[in-house]
Amino acid sequence: MTAETLIAAIENSAPAVWMRGVVAAMPVVESIHVLAAVAIFGTLLVVDLRLLGLRDRRRALTRVSEELLPIAWLAFGAAVVTGALMFSTNAHTYFSNTAFRLKMLALLCAGLNMAVFNLVTRRGVAAWDLSGRPPRAARVAGALSLLLWACVVLLGRWIGFTKGYDFSIPDGIDLDFAAGH
Amino acid sequence: MHDFAQWLDRTPPSVLIQSSLGLIRLLQAAHLLTAGVVCVSGLVIALRVLGVARRDEPFDAVWRRFAPWLAGGLAVMATTGLLQTLGDPVREFTSTSYWVKLASVVTAIAITAAFGQRLRVSGGAERFPVAAKLGAAGLVLLWLAIVLLGRMIAYDRAIWGALSLRT
Repeated sequence: MTAETLIAAIENSAPAVWMRGVVAAMPVVESIHVLAAVAIFGTLLVVDLRLLGLRDRRRALTRVSEELLPIAWLAFGAAVVTGALMFSTNAHTYFSNTAFRLKMLALLCAGLNMAVFNLVTRRGVAAWDLSGRPPRAARVAGALSLLLWACVVLLGRWIGFTKGYDFSIPDGIDLDFAAGH
Repeated sequence: MHDFAQWLDRTPPSVLIQSSLGLIRLLQAAHLLTAGVVCVSGLVIALRVLGVARRDEPFDAVWRRFAPWLAGGLAVMATTGLLQTLGDPVREFTSTSYWVKLASVVTAIAITAAFGQRLRVSGGAERFPVAAKLGAAGLVLLWLAIVLLGRMIAYDRAIWGALSLRT
């Protein structure tokens, strides 16, 4: 199966047809996607600022993580589902959109950064869990995480400015791209 | 309201914003990222009252940690939101989501401020009254709804149907 046939199959799948056919589907799914992205960025901001040693310095890093990461993961799950539904509506256009590709790249880098942190840096966390100044590798991971997730959110917004739609828009939907919204 | 929006739409500051697509995008990007700061700061304060987050810390400590971020974020959001409204007043003022969002923001600020005034007692073993917990539960829903409604402004008729102010 080539990328072209895979994309065509996604675009012709039942969820994609449903998304294109129901007036309220795209607005609701997109709004949930934005809420999820905002929640991910906000929760990771708190954790990353602790990793950087800039906030919550007297609170154990593991404690800050355990409190907020479940919310981040829940939001990430919602973002994946809603993002996949949005992608399916117009897979060809999304796939060839530069902002979308850069967003996926930023997501991949954020995932790699998290994997390296969890598999390598975090193994010795007991020694610096309560330290107000975590080791350099942890601070670098926190800074990269903040930067990459900000990029993910901003590039997501940029898709809306650049993508366009090449399917017929159901009656009642006001996409209003001309105004840049 | 529609006449006022149309008048505002033709004023020089509005025209200036409308003519700068880069500025509009910058405002939207700043508004979106700051929404994460505001939403999560507000949520953590509400979750502390509910006893879900930071139970080992006094409410006062949680307040001192997150209230400044909430206030700062709200200031940025108010500024970027006002400028976006000025840049496209007809679209904003004729959106039901816009007005519901504004009412939700005012309500969320009022509940949070009331928490700040009444619940900041010393010591770590606060037991909050049922009314405070109900307020906190409402606050969680409000902060989530505020972000949702912000995005829904673009899709007013699809979301609100006959209740949409857009014709």
